[in-house]
Amino acid sequence: MTAETDKHIPPVGRVSLRGLSESETGLAVVVFIVLALLPMFVSGYPIYILPQYMLFGMMAMSLGLLWGFVGILSFGQAGFFALGAYTMGLAMQSDWGVNPAYIGMLLSIIAGGILAAVTGYFLFSAGVRATYFVLVTLALSIMVEQIAVSQSEITGGWNGMFIDRMTLTFGGLGEISLFDDAPAYYAVLPVVVLTYALLRWLTSAKFGKVLAGIRENEDRLTALGYSVSLYKTFAFALSGAIACLAGALYGTHANFVAPSLGGVLFSTEVVVWVAIGGRNSLLGALLGGILVATLSNYLSTITPEYWQLVLGLIFIVVIVFFTGGIAGAVGKLPQLWQPRR
Amino acid sequence: MTVLLETKDLSKKFAGLVANQDIRFRLEAGSIRCVIGPNGAGKTTFISMISGHLSPTEGRIIYKDQDVTDLSVISRARIGIARKFQTPTVFDNLTAYQNIELAVMGTSCPRPKRRGRIFEVLDLIRLSDLWDRPVRFLSHGQRQWLEVGLLIAIEAELLLLDEPTAGMTAEETASTARLVQMLSREFKLSVIIIEHDINFIRDLRAPVTVLHLGRVLLEGSFDEVAANDQVREVYLGHETG
Repeated sequence: MTAETDKHIPPVGRVSLRGLSESETGLAVVVFIVLALLPMFVSGYPIYILPQYMLFGMMAMSLGLLWGFVGILSFGQAGFFALGAYTMGLAMQSDWGVNPAYIGMLLSIIAGGILAAVTGYFLFSAGVRATYFVLVTLALSIMVEQIAVSQSEITGGWNGMFIDRMTLTFGGLGEISLFDDAPAYYAVLPVVVLTYALLRWLTSAKFGKVLAGIRENEDRLTALGYSVSLYKTFAFALSGAIACLAGALYGTHANFVAPSLGGVLFSTEVVVWVAIGGRNSLLGALLGGILVATLSNYLSTITPEYWQLVLGLIFIVVIVFFTGGIAGAVGKLPQLWQPRR
Repeated sequence: MTVLLETKDLSKKFAGLVANQDIRFRLEAGSIRCVIGPNGAGKTTFISMISGHLSPTEGRIIYKDQDVTDLSVISRARIGIARKFQTPTVFDNLTAYQNIELAVMGTSCPRPKRRGRIFEVLDLIRLSDLWDRPVRFLSHGQRQWLEVGLLIAIEAELLLLDEPTAGMTAEETASTARLVQMLSREFKLSVIIIEHDINFIRDLRAPVTVLHLGRVLLEGSFDEVAANDQVREVYLGHETG
């Protein structure tokens, strides 16, 4: 390569998507270290409840992948979450010969992936776009809730279903019960970290670049020869599988699943978490899930009547002033320190 | 010269309205063709059928001796038929580099060579200095060129350009003509261009096909077409007053 053409070639790694990007990885490492060290300084209720909020954050990331990277909004994430919890509950009641919790996790990934892949395939290959997709996912959420209510012999109906805490087994090498909160905490955290790492890797690879192309201009991408509907179907299937796995772990952690877990109300909450956290950033979505759920919990204890109103106000303020959510606002901070051109 | 594209009695009707009627069209490999005609002549309908965005009511489209009439937009793009839309259709919030990268990623270009290839294309369309600029900040003309760059980057062999100089300055228009000539001469690309800009068509020195009311009125050199009374009446008459 000659020096003449060399001068154009920028250093590798500078090309990045907007928002937090390179700095996000560093920040994520800090967040995960803090979460990993937390049980050494705190005990009791926070260590009991945080894994559930981390799983909410995992579900939020599954939505962030769709909404932020592909530009399609799903109001059905809670449907997948509840499907996962019920799958885990049913798996735990059966005798498999191997650890039923592992079977439950595996089945929930498969169930969520297949439900989303089939729904997505028919919708996307028929050219269904934004608004109609939202409506179908909304219906998906309602269906999961209704089936959970109506099939009461299997699901327990309105009474819900009790699920035991899982036990980690390592072949003949021993086992760890997750009955206590600290072991349960340390079992959930790695799953959330791995999910984050997987999604970060995927979204920065070719797959993620194509998804960004879909978000920016679907027609252009199709006219360049990309099978847009296949990419969207795969993204939705991945998102469904992740939400479902999060739900399976939630079910065994909370010991209980009821139909409302799959309902529209909860699905809407997920959208609020991601909007507040920042839909263009996976870490934003994750923290949105954890922090807003924590805040909701806190607000509901100090003002049981008005906490939803307060949350609604926060939501409106974020949407009006920071369209990219908190992650978007943080991502713009460095620009404020640079001299204006 | 070998024939790259041929349409056999291509027709398109929209609920009673005849947009294209029995169009017989041949394009040699590596050549440029301008398609002109007044508004409503059926120019965009014609290239939409070639790109696969519309399917013809009747007739066949033959590309490289293969009947492509029933192929999807995606399949046609993969065998080298690529289209530039009337308004610049690019990935607005991505940088110029990322735009071209998306196109190059779809080709067989091996990963280590991608970077070089992307800058090769950016050099061609004169955007290498603006490589890291989100393309929503580029000028209208630059965005038009970027879209042409996307087609070059997917290694298209037949470029369908729908009004590539719309909204350009006279200077930009002239350099667009040079770009298209260079693509045909040096890269052996074939180009079908829909245009209204008479200066651009003259600069190209390419054969012209005149469409009128969905039919081919005349084919010939720019001078022949410009001298034709019928053409002056339906089209050029409006332009030259």
